[in-house]
Amino acid sequence: MSDITELDTPAEVGHQMREEIRQISVRVRARRQLRSRIMVTLCAVALAITAVPLVLLMYQLFRRGLPVVLHAGFFTQLPQTPSLIAPNATGGVSNAILGSLVLTVYAAIMAIPVGVLAGVYLAESDSKLAAVLRVVAQTMAGAPSILMGLFAFAFVVRALHVGFSAIAGSFALAVLMLPVIVISSEIAVRGVPSTLREAGLALGAKPHMVSLKIVLPAAVTGIVTGIILAISRAIGETAPVLLVIGGGYINSWKPLNPVSALPLLIFEDAKSEWPSLRTEVWGIALVLVAFVFVLSLSARIWASRKQQAR
Amino acid sequence: MSFIIPPDFSDDEVVPEFHAGATSRTWYHYVLIAASLVFAAVSVGFVGTILWNSLPEWSHHPGTLLAGSGWQAPLGPFGGLAMIVGTLETSAIALGVAVIIGLGTSISIVFLVPRRLRNVIATLVDLLAAVPSIVYGLWGFLVLAPWMLQTVDPFLNRLPFARVIFGNPSQEFGTSLLLAAVVLSVMILPTFVAISREVISVVPQDLIEASLSLGATRWQVIREVVLPTAKIGLFGATFLALARATGETVAVALVAGGVANTQFHLLYPGTTIASWIATQFGEAQGNAVSALMALGVLLMIVNFSLSLMSRWLVVRQRKVLAVV
Amino acid sequence: MDQEFKTHVETKVAASTTPLVRGASAMQLKNVSVAFHGRTAVRDCTFDITKNRVTSLIGPSGSGKTTLLRALNRLHDLTPGAKVAGQIMLEGTDIYRGDITVTELRTRVGMVFQRPNPFPTMSIYDNAVSGLRFNGVKKKAILDEAAESSLKSAALWDSVHNRLKVAASNLSGGEQQRLCIARALALDPEVLLMDEPTSALDPIATLKIEDLMMTLKQRVTVVIVTHNMQQAARISDDCAFLLMGEDRAGELIEFDTTEKIFNNPIDPRTLDYTLGRFG
Repeated sequence: MSDITELDTPAEVGHQMREEIRQISVRVRARRQLRSRIMVTLCAVALAITAVPLVLLMYQLFRRGLPVVLHAGFFTQLPQTPSLIAPNATGGVSNAILGSLVLTVYAAIMAIPVGVLAGVYLAESDSKLAAVLRVVAQTMAGAPSILMGLFAFAFVVRALHVGFSAIAGSFALAVLMLPVIVISSEIAVRGVPSTLREAGLALGAKPHMVSLKIVLPAAVTGIVTGIILAISRAIGETAPVLLVIGGGYINSWKPLNPVSALPLLIFEDAKSEWPSLRTEVWGIALVLVAFVFVLSLSARIWASRKQQAR
Repeated sequence: MSFIIPPDFSDDEVVPEFHAGATSRTWYHYVLIAASLVFAAVSVGFVGTILWNSLPEWSHHPGTLLAGSGWQAPLGPFGGLAMIVGTLETSAIALGVAVIIGLGTSISIVFLVPRRLRNVIATLVDLLAAVPSIVYGLWGFLVLAPWMLQTVDPFLNRLPFARVIFGNPSQEFGTSLLLAAVVLSVMILPTFVAISREVISVVPQDLIEASLSLGATRWQVIREVVLPTAKIGLFGATFLALARATGETVAVALVAGGVANTQFHLLYPGTTIASWIATQFGEAQGNAVSALMALGVLLMIVNFSLSLMSRWLVVRQRKVLAVV
Repeated sequence: MDQEFKTHVETKVAASTTPLVRGASAMQLKNVSVAFHGRTAVRDCTFDITKNRVTSLIGPSGSGKTTLLRALNRLHDLTPGAKVAGQIMLEGTDIYRGDITVTELRTRVGMVFQRPNPFPTMSIYDNAVSGLRFNGVKKKAILDEAAESSLKSAALWDSVHNRLKVAASNLSGGEQQRLCIARALALDPEVLLMDEPTSALDPIATLKIEDLMMTLKQRVTVVIVTHNMQQAARISDDCAFLLMGEDRAGELIEFDTTEKIFNNPIDPRTLDYTLGRFG
């Protein structure tokens, strides 16, 4: 209070200063304005620079990939090795498509139950374990995928003597998906309004019934969105499966057989001496990108629709 | 959605139902705990298995792996210097490019682009961040590498002093550390933009209007108010982008050239830790496997520290904004 | 109701102590309308803001008080789809004229916001002189002098002069708001716009800011938007009453001295509002 009564208003001083400030401000005005305009333009240029390579990439992908995908038998035939007699015989990629699907399905079967339940636990518990696991999940979610391959190799291929196989690749992908599912499930469950939960408890329902019958159904959109995003990430990963799936040349869904996968085929054929194979990889890349885009876009659209409905 | 950014639970009213008392210790509770323990076991197993399998190499010649050159498969010695240097070079260049261009991009998206377009661009950026890395690698190898070989390399060679930095390349494919850095920067740009855009857009409108009301120009608002306020979060985004760059595997394996030479001339082929593991693992036997595992441990240490650092920074950024 | 009426009468007295002589205009509004994406938010406001007086804008929510206030330092410029029509004169010049430099205009017409918003990354000192720095003032002597005089004018100097380098976020809410006032005063503006400056503060902090405004008007013309009728009555000399029209656009119902508006308004709606019958 006291500072108000002791106040002396330096009115004249202030107005002298007004003049001085105005003069300086007018002197540097043009420079400030120019500087601002230049920097803002540079930011716009940066946006353009970001767009250029990405637009080019997409353009190449469609221009080179689309004819390959439309080629008869691309989806249904097994690959052939080009030879001097038939340099353009590349066959199809049915084994890799099947392989990618099989790998992803097995991985999802392994990762989803554990991931969702662990995520629910993290959301509903404030124990030490939960706090530690939260950090672990975030750290694991950013781990380089090649490490998942090393893990699967050392553990499944060697220690368990399973050998190069679909299941080893799925294991690597499951380890990759797991933290993503844990995190997104936790976010989804926490997003459920606490009033909903309290209403259930107030009606006398047991806590675990409230969690199962009220919270989980309310959180299902977020959980499924997270699962789809995890799958879309796993399906495009090359490094983890590269080390452990063996690269089969037949259509196989059996867990213990070696399989191929779309990204793996790109990695191997991109360096091929046969131009026909180097062309074909664009088709595979297009299929892969289409998979990923459709998955993430549908997850997005679904999530936003549900949110609006609420 | 980036999953390494810790979600903000600070103002959640948590109803930890398992603290309601002994009555809630039901089968359901045990199922949840079991799942969490499985997850914990997988994580511990992940770190433990790779560490365990690298032990032979660490006990033989750890010094060679960290600072030696030459990779004599299958018996050794295995020098990791080329991979470490290659990783540092490519990541540093890629990060520099991605941060400068990405910051400008994020600023444009938040402040220059009309609101309706903003969401579309944000979605596109997120989609691009989801494009599998092998696709970037393919593009780099089949499109950029020939272009580098025919156009960029000769151009750089004509520049005075350029040979000091780039060397005198006569490469067959055009693959080089520089190309790897270029592809990496294109790859991590969407990641960096996705996070930095988020960080910048949550700077309160209040502060922006306050600075405008004091006569600040548009750039002054950005430079003096928005960027300092978002600073910590932007560092978080940078660390995350760096984590991604260092861990990137197959794309780099396609475009870096895959030669284990400690290389400071950027137009010569080289390799990185992650891509070396990917390309060598197929033929690796005995000691070489454990040497590659040991490289994996290095990669893990680098990556985990970067992730934890970025997590810590993002949490701190929230605290800064909470004060506002 | 009775209780409310009583305070109403009491507050009237304070308002009537200021002289009613009209001085020169600081700002003149002529048929000012603001529209967003073609939808009018405020229509046809015409009144004068007199120098060295406190002018309050009152009215229920949605009547466009804040919208009108923000037009006075062209803060709508950055809102996409916003259009300001009519004339707003500052010292005889239309501030929306093409050759006016917006950044300079805003140094002459300062603004204080609803929520205290000191820059969180800056110290108290840096906050106080931030406006000067934006405008290219670098000399330490000038900055120091401006910091001291503006903090004094905002009645903050005594409590912060020995911790000027401390982050502004360490201050209390009321102190933060006074820092924001000091920040605006450091540029020595001709007009100070205040958008419900006390709505986020506790009663004691509110009182301090109100006292401050009464002294401030010796050096700066104050325009304040407020929801709080007593506040308008206590501190303002002139008062503009706005109301939402049938098409949801705000309209100026009445403009006069605060005393007239609160004691003897022409429009019956003004009386209803000041008596608390609606809004």
